[in-house]
Amino acid sequence: MGFGQFLKAPEYDIKIITYRDIFQSTALESSGCGDEYAERSAVILLDKGDMKKMVLKDGRKAVLKNNFGRVVVHLRPSDYDEGHEGIGYMTNSPWSNALVSSETGGSGVPKFKMITASISDAKDEKVTSFDE
Amino acid sequence: MENEYYVCTGCGLLCDDIEVELEDGKVSKVNNACLKGVARLKECNRPAECRIDGAPASLEDAIIEAARILKEADSPVLFGMGNSTSQAQKNAIEVAKRTGAYFDDTSSFCQGPVVEAILENKIRTCTLDEVKDKADVIVYWGADPSNSHPRHLSKYTYFPRGKERQRGWEEDRTAICIDVRKSDTATICGDKFYQIPPQADEELLNALANGLSGKVPKVSFGMGPKKILELANMLKKAEFGVICVGLGLVYSLEEIEPLVRLMDKLNEVSNFHLIPMVGQYNMRGSNHNLHEETGYINRVKFTGNDVEHGAHCSVVELLRARTVDAALIIGSDPMSSLPGSIAKELLDISVITIDPCNTLTSRKAKVSIPAATAGSECGGTAVRMDGVEVEFKAMTETDRMCDAEILERIMGEL
Repeated sequence: MGFGQFLKAPEYDIKIITYRDIFQSTALESSGCGDEYAERSAVILLDKGDMKKMVLKDGRKAVLKNNFGRVVVHLRPSDYDEGHEGIGYMTNSPWSNALVSSETGGSGVPKFKMITASISDAKDEKVTSFDE
Repeated sequence: MENEYYVCTGCGLLCDDIEVELEDGKVSKVNNACLKGVARLKECNRPAECRIDGAPASLEDAIIEAARILKEADSPVLFGMGNSTSQAQKNAIEVAKRTGAYFDDTSSFCQGPVVEAILENKIRTCTLDEVKDKADVIVYWGADPSNSHPRHLSKYTYFPRGKERQRGWEEDRTAICIDVRKSDTATICGDKFYQIPPQADEELLNALANGLSGKVPKVSFGMGPKKILELANMLKKAEFGVICVGLGLVYSLEEIEPLVRLMDKLNEVSNFHLIPMVGQYNMRGSNHNLHEETGYINRVKFTGNDVEHGAHCSVVELLRARTVDAALIIGSDPMSSLPGSIAKELLDISVITIDPCNTLTSRKAKVSIPAATAGSECGGTAVRMDGVEVEFKAMTETDRMCDAEILERIMGEL
């Protein structure tokens, strides 16, 4: 038990864009909302420069939160050639949907692909589970 | 011996060249399908169970209870449909009419505006078979079929030899990708990948329309007029062009009009078509069936002989405003696919699910009714993403009822 546990992890603003992944979609078909699906869904891919700036390390977990929800997901650097400062990528899933605004301006279409949230180190928290 | 081919219900592409091997009456091997298709056609890892209030129940009791909930509800909604056969969708419309219910499907928050524009002849479309035979310029805009519809490029658009495109992708076809990130499809498109910032699609649609009108196209992000004109010229020179519209584009537009304007402009100077990248295997069928019945593709409420329509009838607004007190959810998992802050409203109303698999929604449902899996366990018809009706037969036999039959039984109890 270290002194660090009493300190609040710094939070940074981030925009999250969701995308489709064939392996994640396959896991949904074959395992429902089971472990494999969770393993492939509860992940945010960050710009390598952002990870360095935010002092977030590959393989650790992150808390993503906004007014609509809060989830803990795995943290990984993206492998895109181009940098994408301030933008994180997540597959479309209950983990990303937990952060989607309920405000639609009466259109009936939520902003699934443009989520604004804060990100911080999750320390020892477990990844959020929806499989209960 | 002649091979027997089946249809895959893994996505809106409805691949019709699937071969299967059976073992003990179950699908043991699937050939020609993509990863997602194979997973769909094999048995659910967690099949749905027949339950009322969490306790095991007989199918008969579950159907009676489902009918009771719908009858007694003041304001029920029927939702889902994208993974149901056309007959099931038609039966669901009848149930909604009988119970004075709201009726909506998943197109309500995805490809609905595009399908609506096609059915209202605002946008020119074509079939995937025509794309295969004729298309020389294929644009994927906000779409990544390599992940969402893995056989789209190989079966119909970029890689195959078509009647008028015998030299395929090597010489006869150009694939272009416009997206906010370098997806797997963008990688295939190589130097024909145009990266844009999030929410910049409308700006590029307008700039391309300007470029095609002889004006200097300008955008506020780092894509110069030369690059935009290079893209506009490729589109202009197409003998048979197609834009495959993904959710990336649909979600970034407040209105469909900028896309309609670009299509109109393209067809003044070229020959262009549009196909929506529909996800669920028969979401388009639901749009067609409801349109035939009401003149609307989704978001309706049946009241006597009248039909009310509008965004307020969408499943998202109904749940958000707590307008409904019961929901019959067919082949869909809104607890997983809707924003969490909206999906949670389902926990406060009586939910009935009809689904082959155990889902987050079926686990919370008051009544969960297991159905056969369309495609592998039951046959029917569906409408492919390009509007072509496809008939499919079952691969195996099952004791479970098809969703169409379950809905017919519920109707009988109403």
